[in-house]
Amino acid sequence: MFGTLNNYLSSVHRAWTNGDGDTLASYISLKDKHIMNRNLYVESPENAVGRLLESPIDEILCAHLKVLYYLGLEPRDFMQAYKYQSQCIQSVVKMLQQLKEENWCLPVMYTACLDLRILAQRCEEMGNSSKPGEILEKAADCLMSCFRVCAADNRSSDSETKRLGMLNLVCQLFKVYFRINKLHLCKPLIRAIDSSAFKDMFPLPERITYKYFVGRKAMFDSDYKSADEFLSFAFKHCPKNFPRNKRLILIYLVPVKMLLGFLPKKHILERYDVLQFHELAEALKEGNVRKFDDVIQRHEIFFIKCGIYLLVEKLKFIVYRNLFKKVYLIKQTHQLDLNAFATALQFVGETDMTIDETHCIVANLIFEGKIKGYISHSHNKLVVSKQNPFPPLNTVS
Amino acid sequence: MSGFVKGVCEDLCPANEAKLRIKEKLLHYFEYKNGQKHVSGKLVKCFSRSAADKKIPRPQDMRTEACLQRCVEYLLKDIVLDTRKPFNIVYDFIFDRLRSVRQEIVMQDYNAGQTIKLMEPMIMFLCYSRYRLCEEAIDNFDPKICEQHLQECLKRALVCYDEIDIKKMNLLEIRRRIFVESLYQMFNLGSPEAMKRCFTLDDDIKLDPLFALVFKICLSYSQGNYYRVFNGIQSLPHILCAIGSLKLPILRRKLYQLFSHAYSSKQLLVPVDFVLRLCAHASKYELFEDCKYYNIKLSEDQQSLHFQKSDFKNDLPVLKCKQEKFVNVKIKNIYLPEILLLKRI
Repeated sequence: MFGTLNNYLSSVHRAWTNGDGDTLASYISLKDKHIMNRNLYVESPENAVGRLLESPIDEILCAHLKVLYYLGLEPRDFMQAYKYQSQCIQSVVKMLQQLKEENWCLPVMYTACLDLRILAQRCEEMGNSSKPGEILEKAADCLMSCFRVCAADNRSSDSETKRLGMLNLVCQLFKVYFRINKLHLCKPLIRAIDSSAFKDMFPLPERITYKYFVGRKAMFDSDYKSADEFLSFAFKHCPKNFPRNKRLILIYLVPVKMLLGFLPKKHILERYDVLQFHELAEALKEGNVRKFDDVIQRHEIFFIKCGIYLLVEKLKFIVYRNLFKKVYLIKQTHQLDLNAFATALQFVGETDMTIDETHCIVANLIFEGKIKGYISHSHNKLVVSKQNPFPPLNTVS
Repeated sequence: MSGFVKGVCEDLCPANEAKLRIKEKLLHYFEYKNGQKHVSGKLVKCFSRSAADKKIPRPQDMRTEACLQRCVEYLLKDIVLDTRKPFNIVYDFIFDRLRSVRQEIVMQDYNAGQTIKLMEPMIMFLCYSRYRLCEEAIDNFDPKICEQHLQECLKRALVCYDEIDIKKMNLLEIRRRIFVESLYQMFNLGSPEAMKRCFTLDDDIKLDPLFALVFKICLSYSQGNYYRVFNGIQSLPHILCAIGSLKLPILRRKLYQLFSHAYSSKQLLVPVDFVLRLCAHASKYELFEDCKYYNIKLSEDQQSLHFQKSDFKNDLPVLKCKQEKFVNVKIKNIYLPEILLLKRI
């Protein structure tokens, strides 16, 4: 593509003068075909670029060509490429500041930011950072400098404001923060988006990504109702032809739903290859503690890797609740002997269960509203309500 | 790197500071010879905040690594057992002198291995003191500051551990690390953030029986199985048990709250013995005090409690920590310096 460097630069010049953001973005993208062209691998392109391009696009192009040069070396030098990509971002920031009251250049920023994040990830993977996460954190700082310019652009009209670029950056930043485990840094970004007037005007793909991450964040903060809402939105709107993304959403949505009392359907889990949850749901339904522990143990690595281990462990009290409900259905009475519960628990694998612990577990379930009733200690009995003693979990707050 | 000064002083207190403090009579009680007034004994370098107007310390004002090690040992062996003054005075002295050790670790830019060796005993001391002084009046002991420093030391140690390949540690070093990792978990009981760390740890730690027990306690806490948390805490060894016991007031409150819902009734009573068994109080009178505070009624014969949902005072702050009998028994049975210096675990 383009043949010579000059050809390439004059195409860039045309896109720049036409204000064609998308084309310009493709010219600096590391995913575009032009990066295969060896004529563009120039170590010091300043002179050539200076002859054809004006400020501020010239600086961006210089940095981009240097990135190409270092990626073209044998072996590829990701660290240098990363360094020049961050320089490219700095020039993008300058460009954003110079182009007042216009936002056609946003795609250029998106592309540069995306490439920076991916380069930083590569550097991390190759063990180039002294402390894990250090390079990504620096990259996040770069992205933040773009974010600040966009967020501060409140003088332009609604259709030309750079604030429309905020969500794209926020999604990029989320990806970094989740990877380096700095979730607390998400909070100000969430506030910025939620208070933005464009909340529902951002492009749908960005909104899906956004909801996916805020859903996961809510999950970690134990706010399951919101997590359900956000993740459900993401799952519902994520198109069918992105099965990998749908699977990712499902991995978090399913346990949250289960905690709220909804069990997943097998064929959906099957379609997205997350049958681990089916086994878990079976154990849950049966109130079978031994099976439940066994499933968690067998899929421990999967649960830990996804960061949902603690969440699925929290389902244990629901397993207890389901078991107790079974006892109630067998006994057909409203006055249930706690010894029967203790025996049932021992039967399903809690071999060291004492009557004292049984009391505590039942007490907790009553407190959480998962069982309606009260315990009479002197009779060692749980007296359950005549109406709806085990209310459906989705009605329990 | 030439930016860092390397200490050469072999005395616990550099000569310059000693001269100044003796002249100005700025000695602590423990720095006088046999407690006599005006006769100086063994001085230890005290903490002084680094500030902009301070000169960069000279090598002779800083101590060598061996000297810092000796200093920690002196404080946690000779001073910690000194009974001439109440423990809060002992604590103040050791706290300040250890802080200056910590400052030198930073100023001399010690590596992970060096830092850990000095930091571990400090963590042990702060944990022990936090428990031992928990009933002290706020004028004598500030638990907030103690906890802040403890958390800082713990996190520092964890960062250092992450830098060292566990395969290169010897058995005692691993035992120490397991103990400190366990302390971090118990001190931060209820924090998912802290628990996440468990999943990143090496099997040498994860599969260790002590750490596995601590992990189980944390997991039970997150599941809401307080019965197992109570039992688990009581089965922990000495200092770890002490740190765990600091969470008991919160746990007890939780338990009373659950019971106020589950056993809520106008007529029905719950035996005192049953609740006593669960909540790890040594005597029923301690339990009665809790009940009075949270407004749980006691039957006339003092044999039963009368739980009622509407009685329970939800909005009261959690009661202050107190020393627990089962912890004191464990601590009485150890030789303190040996444990604080992690010579034996």
